[in-house]
Amino acid sequence: MTMKQWNFKFLALLVILLAGPVYGQQTEIPAGQTEADTLKTPFMYRYDRRLERYKRRFNSLIPQTNVLQMYGDMGLVSVGIGWDYGKREQWETNLLLGFIPKYNSDKMRLSFTLKQNYTPWSFSVSDVVSIEPLITGMYLNTVFGHQFWTHEPDRYPQGYYGFSTRVRIHLFLGQSVTLSIPPERRFFAKAVSAFYEVSTCDLYVVSAFTNSYLKPHDYLRLSFGLRFKIL
Amino acid sequence: MTIKTLANILLAFLVICSTAACDMLESHPYDTRVTGETGINAKNIQRIESLLKGRESFRFAVISDTQRWYDATVDAVNSIRDRQDIDFVLHGGDQSDFGVTKEFLWMRDIMNRLDVPYVCAIGNHDCLGTGRDVFRTVYGDTNFAFTAGDMRFICLNTNALEYDYSEPVPDFNFMTAQLDKMQQDSLTRCAFLMHAAPQTDVFNNNVAKVFQHYLHMFPGLQFCMHGHTHALTVKDIFDDGILYYQCPNIDKRIYLVFTINEEGYDYEAVEF
Repeated sequence: MTMKQWNFKFLALLVILLAGPVYGQQTEIPAGQTEADTLKTPFMYRYDRRLERYKRRFNSLIPQTNVLQMYGDMGLVSVGIGWDYGKREQWETNLLLGFIPKYNSDKMRLSFTLKQNYTPWSFSVSDVVSIEPLITGMYLNTVFGHQFWTHEPDRYPQGYYGFSTRVRIHLFLGQSVTLSIPPERRFFAKAVSAFYEVSTCDLYVVSAFTNSYLKPHDYLRLSFGLRFKIL
Repeated sequence: MTIKTLANILLAFLVICSTAACDMLESHPYDTRVTGETGINAKNIQRIESLLKGRESFRFAVISDTQRWYDATVDAVNSIRDRQDIDFVLHGGDQSDFGVTKEFLWMRDIMNRLDVPYVCAIGNHDCLGTGRDVFRTVYGDTNFAFTAGDMRFICLNTNALEYDYSEPVPDFNFMTAQLDKMQQDSLTRCAFLMHAAPQTDVFNNNVAKVFQHYLHMFPGLQFCMHGHTHALTVKDIFDDGILYYQCPNIDKRIYLVFTINEEGYDYEAVEF
């Protein structure tokens, strides 16, 4: 049963990740018409207008960024998609799928991360390079596997452990440098940012709080990655 | 920004990375990536057995339930090390609070400050998430035993609630094998170490009496030691003369000292 559940979650994730590119495809031209025809005919059936709205709405869901991140307690390598928004595109939401190697356990594991970034400033250094002196935010990470639970299984007395082994909350601070690619040289993205982040999670915070034995390198985590701005 | 500046930034980053920052690179809190010493129980059992070979009197300390009390555990370890009269140390389980990989490594590094050998039993908190995998890697089997002088120490996994019938807890086959081992080596006395005592919430209480019945089969059973409910207790749980000594959690700043001699044993709760 757990295997089935796992498969279902994995499939659901794939659907989410693949949904972007599918919806991202351009509006189809009706049969028997050329592109020029669609441009010069202002007349549209009611259904066509509805279809336009429908496509426009889903087009706005196309992820604007692709992210590759290493470490940070979300996987050795995580790949994801993101949406940036706000007046200066200072907000960004990421969905990431992380791969955790087997190490000393029985199998490799997957984890899923919902991440919210806030980048208050971006300073241009030259025509192509800009620096973001602060990126901050938080992320929720969930790890797949029957060993992990969100709520304690029924066999435990209520509130026995009082925490979830599956869901972690992380806070982070980071910096990045962004390179915009001139239009004629673009291939994969219009800008690439290299970033690093220092993070910690709930379990490390409560451990560090009461113990002077634990030093910053014990409870802080480092991660780094690349962010490709596509749209 | 020139290529040179970028190269310098990259170099600085790599230098930071190669020092303290390596500890800061982690796939996941439950990733089971173990750096440093592994297989500790087996190594320390060898040390204990060779150190105490042929001796009929010796002294050992018991600490337990050290989860998320790193500062107190450091103090306990220092106190045990300073007294110089302890031959080995037993840990009654629950080194970790959440089963997180790093918790085992932090605790191991504190325990490694001891200049005498130590062994660790598995606690229910140590089983959480991937904790049991890390315990196996760092310490070894969850049921183990060793001979100190003329006495057999049998250390059992009693956290049945965490195993959901996936493996026998407590493992009666392991206990039977220890009985055979004692006969084979003509050992005349023994003691048990477990995390949770019979009749506690994580013990398989369906077999609590059967477990006790098994204990009566062991020649020269001196006493049982355990942790789990974070209190200093001495109980004759089944009113049959077998005493269960509970070592409190380390935050109570108490460890137990047992002195074994030819006639029997002495017991002391030491505050630090």
